[in-house]
Amino acid sequence: MSFELRDHTADVAVEATGETLGGVFAATADGMAGAMCETVPTTGDRFECAVTAERRDALLFDYLDELIYQRDVRGVLPVDNRATVEKSGDDWSVDASARGVPLETISAREIKAVTYSEMVLETTEDGWHVYVVLDV
Amino acid sequence: MTTYDAGEFTLEKVREYVWELPQEGEMRVPARVLASEALLDEISDDLSLQQLKNTSHLPGIQKYAIAMPDAHQGYGFPVGGVAGIDAEDGVISPGAVGYDINCGVRMLKTDLEYSDIQGREEELVDALFEAIPAGLGGGGVVQTDVETLEDVLERGVDWALEEGYAVEDDLAHCEDEGVRPGADAAAVSKKAKDRGRQQLGSLGSGNHFLEVQRVTDVYRDDVAESFGLEEDQIVVLIHCGSRGLGHQVCTDYLREIEQTHQGLLNELPDKELAAAPAGSHLAEEYYAAMNAAINFAWVNRQLIMHRTREVFADVFDRDWRDMEMDLLYDVAHNIAKKEAHDIDGEDRELFVHRKGATRAFPAGHPEVPAAYRDVGQPIIIPGSMGAGSYILRGGEHSMEETFGSTAHGAGRLMSRTEAKDIYWGEDVQDDLQDHQQIYVRAESGATVAEEAPGVYKDVDEVVRVSDALGIGDRVARTFPVCNIKG
Repeated sequence: MSFELRDHTADVAVEATGETLGGVFAATADGMAGAMCETVPTTGDRFECAVTAERRDALLFDYLDELIYQRDVRGVLPVDNRATVEKSGDDWSVDASARGVPLETISAREIKAVTYSEMVLETTEDGWHVYVVLDV
Repeated sequence: MTTYDAGEFTLEKVREYVWELPQEGEMRVPARVLASEALLDEISDDLSLQQLKNTSHLPGIQKYAIAMPDAHQGYGFPVGGVAGIDAEDGVISPGAVGYDINCGVRMLKTDLEYSDIQGREEELVDALFEAIPAGLGGGGVVQTDVETLEDVLERGVDWALEEGYAVEDDLAHCEDEGVRPGADAAAVSKKAKDRGRQQLGSLGSGNHFLEVQRVTDVYRDDVAESFGLEEDQIVVLIHCGSRGLGHQVCTDYLREIEQTHQGLLNELPDKELAAAPAGSHLAEEYYAAMNAAINFAWVNRQLIMHRTREVFADVFDRDWRDMEMDLLYDVAHNIAKKEAHDIDGEDRELFVHRKGATRAFPAGHPEVPAAYRDVGQPIIIPGSMGAGSYILRGGEHSMEETFGSTAHGAGRLMSRTEAKDIYWGEDVQDDLQDHQQIYVRAESGATVAEEAPGVYKDVDEVVRVSDALGIGDRVARTFPVCNIKG
């Protein structure tokens, strides 16, 4: 799994790949962290979060939104993300964890929100591909 | 007929600086771009025109979907976009307001001249940087409990007045007198409140900043006099919004509307345009929550202004009142408001969505504060940290051309990722200080690179077009002296 930051006139986009749906979710979350901070130390405790939504792309949106929320209320940058995605009944759910790097120890910029704009979540020969625009 | 070929779009020239994308397909109205050819070259270089066309699909949209001279690609709705949508039969769209509800600008005047500051720039910029929370996780001027936050959400700057962070005169010089009616704290989620509680009185990062500026040019003496502006005067410009609270309000309602009004969403070309039908429960709830976020943003800028007054008092060893540090005006540029507009000779109530656009009501309009009703409302258009900013006044043609709106800034030209490849924050800071005597302090060097002067469009051209169209008239220009950012 990997990510790249892509050009966008005013904001920033993350393009990510992963062998599994969970892998591409985690890679996208790592991309979001990369858009906020280039260099992060190895400090910080892991925390967990879980999100449920009605569709896969809605789940990705809500998962990234939850990480932004956790960032603000915990005062940490969520990095080294791990995620497992499952379908349960009519809904999709993600069980995730991240290492929370205290914001006071890093120099980081703010991502305001996740957007649906130009969002892609699709299967490829090697697994999954995501493109998501984040509001700066 | 003169046309402009923008790849898959052909724009027809209506008259100087007015270009039209004719109505076709699912468009409910034509789209208009207000720009010179130089600006149009830039606007047509990204997805702005496609997003503007998509906007024209919104039910109840009146006259035109309009792009201001500084328009650029956003998400769903272009930044620099204006849409007047029927408040009875139309919709309200969180994405057409933007995540940063009531992102806006205020300007604080002083009686200082540039010579009073020269030689003390570093002392001043360091003191401001120390006093004003900025960046990610930088906290706020005040930490609030839930009860206090709900007071802020419903009472706006009235709360700040009661707590000693404002004076009566501040309210008289703010849009809606600093208190947006119809705000309901109960319509704002716990998540949004959790985020906002820790950030009240903070700049954030991205393109937000506080800048000490000097007035370099006055174009309309009589209006400048009414605004209390003159050449060489020191002013302070504050640009920020509703922080995490507003971002969360937009996100929450975008998702709720998507789930509840799926049928309407399926008719729209972009999920980010999700909209609630006027009169529906979610339209009412979103409007009440958005108004609460508007109040939050006004208090946010008010607290930063309060701190700025204290810093100036310390640095210059004078009471801020003696330095005549009065608020010129506070303008929102991400907002939807119910306003009455003339549609085919009839007064209609519209949700006027302005995303990256500034209200620009002309002289005589009843919603312009009494202090400026004879000359038109002040409009503040920030440039980059290496270029001028402008003060305009609402132009006489703004009501018929743009639902009473004009541009909001220079508009970005270059992506953030490309900017970081080209610029290095420290080099930009050194260059500004050595060659233009502009002192910059930032929490993050990468922010300075991303916001380098070269990434923005020519603000002079944006303002020239606004002035030529008579939607926002140039009154004065300012130039940076000190800048702090996240």
